[in-house]
Amino acid sequence: MNISDCRNYNDFRKLAKKKLPAPIFHYIDGGADDEVTLKRNTSAFDDCDLIPNILTSVGRPDLSTTIFGRKIDMPIFLSPTAMQRLYHPDGDKASARAAEKFGTFYSMSTMANNSIEEISNISSGPKLFQLYVHKDKSITDDLIDRCKRSGFDGMCLTVDTLVAGNREKDHRTGFTTPPKLTLNSLLSFVLRPSWVLSYLTNKKFELSNVVNKTDKGTNITKSVIDYINEQYDPKMDWKDAEYCVKKWNGPFALKGVMSVEDAKRAIDIGCTAIMVSNHGGRQLDGSRSPFDQIKAISDAVGDKLEIILDGGVRRGTHVLKALAAGAKACSFGKMFLFSLSAGGQQGVEHLLKMMHDEINRNMILMGCKNLSELNNSKLIYRN
Amino acid sequence: MRLKDCHNFQDFRKLAKKKLPSPIFHYIDGAADDEITYSRNTSAFNDVDLVPNVLRGVENVDLSTTIFGKKIDLPFYCSPTALQRLFHYDGERAVGKAAKKFNTMFGVSALATVSVEEISSMIDTPKMFQFYFHKDRGLNDSCLERAKAAKFDVMALTVDTITGGNRERDLRTGFTSPPKLTLASLFSFATKPMWGINYITKGKFELPHLQDYVKEGTSTNTSIGNYFSTMLDQSMNWKDAEKLCAQWNGHFALKGVMSVEDAKKAVDIGCTGIMVSNHGGRQLDGSRSPFDQLAEIVDAVGDKIDVICEGGFQRGTHMLKALSLGAKACAGGRLYLYALAAAGQAGVERALGQYKAELERDMKLMGCTKISDLSRKNLRFRV
Repeated sequence: MNISDCRNYNDFRKLAKKKLPAPIFHYIDGGADDEVTLKRNTSAFDDCDLIPNILTSVGRPDLSTTIFGRKIDMPIFLSPTAMQRLYHPDGDKASARAAEKFGTFYSMSTMANNSIEEISNISSGPKLFQLYVHKDKSITDDLIDRCKRSGFDGMCLTVDTLVAGNREKDHRTGFTTPPKLTLNSLLSFVLRPSWVLSYLTNKKFELSNVVNKTDKGTNITKSVIDYINEQYDPKMDWKDAEYCVKKWNGPFALKGVMSVEDAKRAIDIGCTAIMVSNHGGRQLDGSRSPFDQIKAISDAVGDKLEIILDGGVRRGTHVLKALAAGAKACSFGKMFLFSLSAGGQQGVEHLLKMMHDEINRNMILMGCKNLSELNNSKLIYRN
Repeated sequence: MRLKDCHNFQDFRKLAKKKLPSPIFHYIDGAADDEITYSRNTSAFNDVDLVPNVLRGVENVDLSTTIFGKKIDLPFYCSPTALQRLFHYDGERAVGKAAKKFNTMFGVSALATVSVEEISSMIDTPKMFQFYFHKDRGLNDSCLERAKAAKFDVMALTVDTITGGNRERDLRTGFTSPPKLTLASLFSFATKPMWGINYITKGKFELPHLQDYVKEGTSTNTSIGNYFSTMLDQSMNWKDAEKLCAQWNGHFALKGVMSVEDAKKAVDIGCTGIMVSNHGGRQLDGSRSPFDQLAEIVDAVGDKIDVICEGGFQRGTHMLKALSLGAKACAGGRLYLYALAAAGQAGVERALGQYKAELERDMKLMGCTKISDLSRKNLRFRV
């Protein structure tokens, strides 16, 4: 099986599973607790049906939209995800280049293995930075200043990760970063020699954006859970968020807003966008899926904020449903990480091409010429 | 598989299955008829989603609540369950000590295998005695008097076991108490020699609250279903309950109330609490799950008495949902019984510790710092 055989999410997932040592695969693949929310994030789309209009002389639909002040060629982009070098030696460089090629956003995590400066040197495409508020406030300030200097377009503050979710697969596999060999995981590393070889022969693993600020950014072996619980500030409140918005002074999103009430407050503190997200089902299991919640949020604040649906998207039709329910664009993490693991930059490009084609085809089948024609009248909910 | 490999309810269940002779495992694990209610007790939680609030500054979480006039450190406790020394030779001693360590309520069954006097000398934390209404009034009086003398805080009258439920697994395995060797069960006892050795060497099995009154309290083998059907008074009515409540003259609860009407009557006869429960799906199959019924009951009597939701809990998020609907606390039997069977006191402590850690994490992810922050505003029902 190789990249050209990948035709959908499950294919990318399968190929990634073949290439990655088990603890690393399961770090991507797993969710919190019983993974009820992880599953619901995708199955929610199936509780609602698309209603096409016929004979509308569609021609070539226009898939472009504007978010964070940048026009993008299609209404999807790559969510910020941590530690991409674990999945492919090119890490963030591969995803940034692929996103630029398809005219959409690449997003950088605070916990990226490439630095802000490094990525801005190789890509002039749209870029979003994802911020965690650390207990050490100078880390937060430093990150914002550097993004500004490096020409990032937007900033998003993650608000659903005050404490790490209970990712039981990581307990079982003993996932740490950098990867540590345990007796349990040894076999799965040995069985993937090419991953080990490229991991060891490429640049040293580090959390490049925080490397000078905390020893946890170096190569001390830590589980992600410990990192989150030690470094992130659980006292973070609306004032802290407002401080970041002002300091950034540009397009700004809160990532992880789920309640209508919080969406309204996001407007009050000056946000221009929110990412409706439960962190890919990796934090609070039993929490509502973004798609189940998107309409209520869009009805309340859709005319004042850009609403991004983050999580559960596997298909072009999912994107269409999300947009019809009120989202401006969709983002995804797991799906592109599998494509990155499966084939680096080429893998991500293959995925983006596939998603582009699905959205394009489905727009034609829906009889829509541009994204603004997708609205509530195109959806019927089953119950 | 060892105790340290147990990360959740299902893991404890697996380990318990390894340790226990199969008739005993299935006595815990089984329920009435087709076990529809048993499965629904847990799956009901998945029909409602949590909606978190962000940026609320949640460094310290207080999980304490007050039930029956006693402040407990956790919003969940150990329901009274029978025959605990069958599951681990320390039985109630192990569970009681673990409950004490976490300062939560410990429920002791009338069919306990350790006496109320011994438990009371062992732990000074809140205790509940669970009472069955026997035909023998002398036995009833003795139970109440001994529990009172032993300074138990709450008396709970079980009202859903007027006759034994149809626990088909017990019929197949031939479960009796004390265990009787049959040809069918011989093999499973023989393959768990440690259980057999402990059972024989760690003190005689007895039912100290009953032994002076009924031969079933001694070493005569009987099935639980048979015990309920022959020993308990099927003519028990509201008058009897009211008399007992007056006789106890302290915090008194009915365990197994499912209708709004009965909940109101419980208030009228002087109860200070009720357990909304279907006996863990072990009595009337097809009956409603406690969580499905909770809102109606809280709406009717929640401001007058303590409403406890009992049954189906396997996760901290399940408890959060019940508490958000208005339950004063959550309770469960299997919640700790598998852990008891898996590793005695250490097992129960690990299980209670995990639920506590889950609740703390999930409260933070919900943006809540105390139990009273939870409300129905946090919930969305799917249909």
